[in-house]
Amino acid sequence: MTDIFVDLDVRPILRDGGEPLSEIIQAVEALAPHEGLRLLAPFKPVPLFQLLGNRGFSYEAREIGEGDWEVLFHRSEAPAAADPGPLPKTTGAGDADGWPEPVRHMDSRDREPPEPMVLILAALETMEQGEVLSALLCREPIFLLPELTKRGHAWRGGFEPDGTTYRILVRNGGAHDAAA
Amino acid sequence: MTGVSLSRWTMSYFAVALAALVLGEALMLAGYGFPAAPVRAPQTLVLVHLIAIGWLSLLLCGALFQFVPVLVARNLHSDTLPLPALVLLVAGLGLLLCGFLQLAGTIAPTPSLLPYAATALAAGFAIVLYNLGRTLWAARPLPLPARFVAVGLAGLAATVTLGAIFSFAFAALLPSEALAAIAASGLPLHIIAGLGGWLTFVAMGVGYRLLAMFMLAPELDGLRPRTALWLGAGALAVAIVGGLALALLDISVFPALLASAVLGTVSLALYGADIVYLYRARKRRIIELNSQMAALALLSLATAAVLDAVLLALGLFFDQIGTLVFLLAFGWLGGLGLAKLYKIVAFLTWLECYGPVLGKQPTPRVQDLVVEARARKWFLLYYAAVWSGSVALAIAQPLLFRLAAGAMLVATIAIAAQLVRTRLLSDVAAGNRLPKGAHRPHLLISLAATG
Repeated sequence: MTDIFVDLDVRPILRDGGEPLSEIIQAVEALAPHEGLRLLAPFKPVPLFQLLGNRGFSYEAREIGEGDWEVLFHRSEAPAAADPGPLPKTTGAGDADGWPEPVRHMDSRDREPPEPMVLILAALETMEQGEVLSALLCREPIFLLPELTKRGHAWRGGFEPDGTTYRILVRNGGAHDAAA
Repeated sequence: MTGVSLSRWTMSYFAVALAALVLGEALMLAGYGFPAAPVRAPQTLVLVHLIAIGWLSLLLCGALFQFVPVLVARNLHSDTLPLPALVLLVAGLGLLLCGFLQLAGTIAPTPSLLPYAATALAAGFAIVLYNLGRTLWAARPLPLPARFVAVGLAGLAATVTLGAIFSFAFAALLPSEALAAIAASGLPLHIIAGLGGWLTFVAMGVGYRLLAMFMLAPELDGLRPRTALWLGAGALAVAIVGGLALALLDISVFPALLASAVLGTVSLALYGADIVYLYRARKRRIIELNSQMAALALLSLATAAVLDAVLLALGLFFDQIGTLVFLLAFGWLGGLGLAKLYKIVAFLTWLECYGPVLGKQPTPRVQDLVVEARARKWFLLYYAAVWSGSVALAIAQPLLFRLAAGAMLVATIAIAAQLVRTRLLSDVAAGNRLPKGAHRPHLLISLAATG
């Protein structure tokens, strides 16, 4: 559980024409397990979402005015390095055993439905077949699930032990493999 | 099967329901039924049942075919049964209204149509109950909002049964004295089971979930909502079972009603506290029109609950029952219904139309299907008219009441026009209205469910 956020403001670096990526990576590597990173940037740092996602971080981004963004990176409930582990409820096509580590992490718990559905479907369109997406939601995505099945993606999901966070893993095009 | 598909006939139910509301408001504008006629006059029965069955019950049935599956995260037992149910309910309602017109002497009194009406309505509602009941049964243990719906369905069964007994009593076809005793003193039970049990309980349960969903508030469970559920269910049991027992013993049913009112008021107070909590705990700071307007419906419910207690204390309850029922039917249930329709129609239409291409093509957002600023003024007119109408009834000003009914009619037609525009995607910018692969929705049915 992330309870402390380390601040990193990359706006001055960018304003001076610098490249903040190495500072960001350094800051991330220096984080303790219970720490997260609060990043302040003059634009929405979309490439970082994937980059840090691969290192097991999920994010919450919000615009704080005048084009500036605050992004909170915290370690996902499902660290990329760890096995996803048994989920409380397993449904959908396919079995997550033997699934590769998720290449995308998404935290959509604070997004209003149906935005998480749109984001998940859009992310899947950019992913290769067989790649896995992990997403945190604030409720069971009941309208998303049939659409995933219709599009041939395999998924499994369930509520975390806290009972309020729903975690779903989706494997792109996985249903074709499962059916084969 | 996991997840939930679109309910095919929900939009048809909504369309018939709105037509019934418009017709009912037109009758009130014309001065038909209460308050021009007495509360128990056949003309008032026409009006009351047009609203209670035609508008509110069909609205709730249509909504439940979609939202019971959402509440329990599993598909509706049958996506086909809602159609025969709708046909039977509309036919039954038509026969019922004609049966009341027979009592009013407007049309020829024989043969009495009421038993046929009761048979068709009972068959239609039985199909609805079977379909929703099977869906709920398969999903046990039920989450809290679905338990409210389950109690509401029991209320519907009780309402229809009592209504059928009355219909056969009017036609002098009752085979036993016991049923005749129920017919003689069961009217308050019929009203409580219908308005309190069926309509209000279901609206409470669906309200818990929809408000949480649309405002990003936590799902409620725990002692307070559970107590609200059990006290409310207890209130209904005391009124209906206790009332029936008293009626059969040929004693006044009033003590059962009083005990039920006390339990029901506490239940509503707890519900009110929960809803205030939901509004406060929401993560979404700026709420959409549907949640704003639902707040006005909840305010109407709170007003009616307070008024109910005050009138009982002053001994004026039976003088003002028309005012109370009007405020509950149009301010609370009707207002909540219109507010949630505004969101539900947009959401379901969006999902049906753009679901297949989400993520593949740029698509409009749900909010692009509506123009809230335009709809807001009609909603405000609606509530202002309902509250003026309630005051007009309370101070016995029939002309003022008809004016208020006229304003309600205008507002309802305007809101219905917004819903049609939403369904036809009229407010979506022409450029991205129908991306390649999107499914153009039909006004009255959702065919994407079969895809």
